[in-house]
Amino acid sequence: MDVAVEGLRFERAGRTVLDIAGLVFADGTTTAVFGPNGSGKTTLLRLIAGLERPSAGAIRIGGTPVGRDRASRRHVGFAFQEPVFVGGSARRNLGLGLALRELPAAQREARIAEAARECGIETVLDRSARQLSSGEAQRVNLARALALRAPVTLLDEPLTGIDRLTRVQLLDDLPRMLATFAATTILVTHDREEAFRLADHLVILVDGAVRAAGPKAEVYACPPDRAAAELLGYTVVAAGGRTIGVPAGAWAVGEGDGALELTVDRVVDMGDHLHAVGLVRGTRVDVRLRGTDPVPAPGDRVRVRPLLQVPVG
Amino acid sequence: MREAILLLLGGDAELYGIIGRTLAISGMATLVAMLVGVPLGYALARGRFPGRTLLLGAVNTGMGMPPVVVGLVVWLLLTRSGPLGDWGLIYTREAMVVAQFVIATPLVVGFTAASIQALPAQLPDLLASLGAGRLRTLWILSAEARLGLLAAVMAGFGAIVSEVGASMTVGGNLRGSTRVLTTAIVTETSRGNLPVALALGCLLLALAFAVNLLLTLIQQRRNG
Repeated sequence: MDVAVEGLRFERAGRTVLDIAGLVFADGTTTAVFGPNGSGKTTLLRLIAGLERPSAGAIRIGGTPVGRDRASRRHVGFAFQEPVFVGGSARRNLGLGLALRELPAAQREARIAEAARECGIETVLDRSARQLSSGEAQRVNLARALALRAPVTLLDEPLTGIDRLTRVQLLDDLPRMLATFAATTILVTHDREEAFRLADHLVILVDGAVRAAGPKAEVYACPPDRAAAELLGYTVVAAGGRTIGVPAGAWAVGEGDGALELTVDRVVDMGDHLHAVGLVRGTRVDVRLRGTDPVPAPGDRVRVRPLLQVPVG
Repeated sequence: MREAILLLLGGDAELYGIIGRTLAISGMATLVAMLVGVPLGYALARGRFPGRTLLLGAVNTGMGMPPVVVGLVVWLLLTRSGPLGDWGLIYTREAMVVAQFVIATPLVVGFTAASIQALPAQLPDLLASLGAGRLRTLWILSAEARLGLLAAVMAGFGAIVSEVGASMTVGGNLRGSTRVLTTAIVTETSRGNLPVALALGCLLLALAFAVNLLLTLIQQRRNG
């Protein structure tokens, strides 16, 4: 089902948290709503889930307006950022959502078994959900939302608060889990790697407003402003009367088209190579040195050039 | 002591009447306090409205309210010349239920609010997102907070079954009508009838223990 956001405004304590003129999450897509903390990402998910009422405008799922009623919520499976469980086993937690959606008892066990298998939680199903490790708890949290097989799946920072190894595993596993269970998926993240690895579409949200939206390659190629470009990982500098964005790692020492002056602050030894870190026109730039580059000292001025660049704005 | 045991085993009809009356009055007051106090405790725990902190403070103060003061206020309301005197409740069991309800309710509200607040803050949202309606959410939250809710019942019942000031003031300790275990103990003590007073005291303790044991068994059933 499509999720359409129309003239949406949400205010809290007199402050506008979200102001979105129009936005569509197309049926069958996985979209990362990407932005800094406090940009209104979680609020957008809560509005789509019918847990908040908009101050103005509407959200439609498959053409039906979302309200704070049970029927609206049944279109949505929501994995909260913090895994929250009722007392009892992981199996009970998975089964609760299915029971509340009135899935016949005979089908519940099969659905739980399928979700457990796909989400890698078969061995913890009968353990107390509240005593699971952070990684196990996050998998159960995701499995509970996915097992609903809702037309719209919402994931709020699905890889936050878990150890690095589990995060790497989940980054690998989540696309498969989503392909098995989810139709339209909207995930919220402030992590660029998560957004690019998990989603095919991006929405950049800054201060409650959409700065860019579309297929991720298109959004990445044309950041609309400095804030969006920096979120996408570009180093933004003024060069030749215009503003350019240079992807991380796309700087090299040397003269050439668009070369700029780097004032070296420090040189970082990464073991097998060195980085020169300093300022280009007030912007922090990190340049990987090749073996043939002379090693600068702090305070030196070095000419550097962007290997790739995109116009910003 | 021997006399006390004989009285307990002797099957005295008046004694059984007092026991039944004690259970009926305190049981009814606890039940009404739960019906009013649990939703109020839930609203105080989860609601966000002006004056909420002030109300919580008032409830916490009410948890330590002296029963004799409650008795005095209820007496002033229900006495023949009082604002509710026309109801004709003074020196009746109903008046005792009212007074005990006033004592028990802050305890029930306070324990309920604390146990609901101890649940994960996002649990109601989770249940709503999974498809639970308001009543189902309240039911599941109550089940999750059952340790605290049963503690609320025990605290409420324990406080009123053992209080004497309010029951004496608004009930009048009328023999065969409003005399309960605590007021009977006072009466027998004032008469110098210490063995009977002691027997009644033991009985009151046993009664409170039995009720609380039953509630504790329910409370701990799924936590063993």
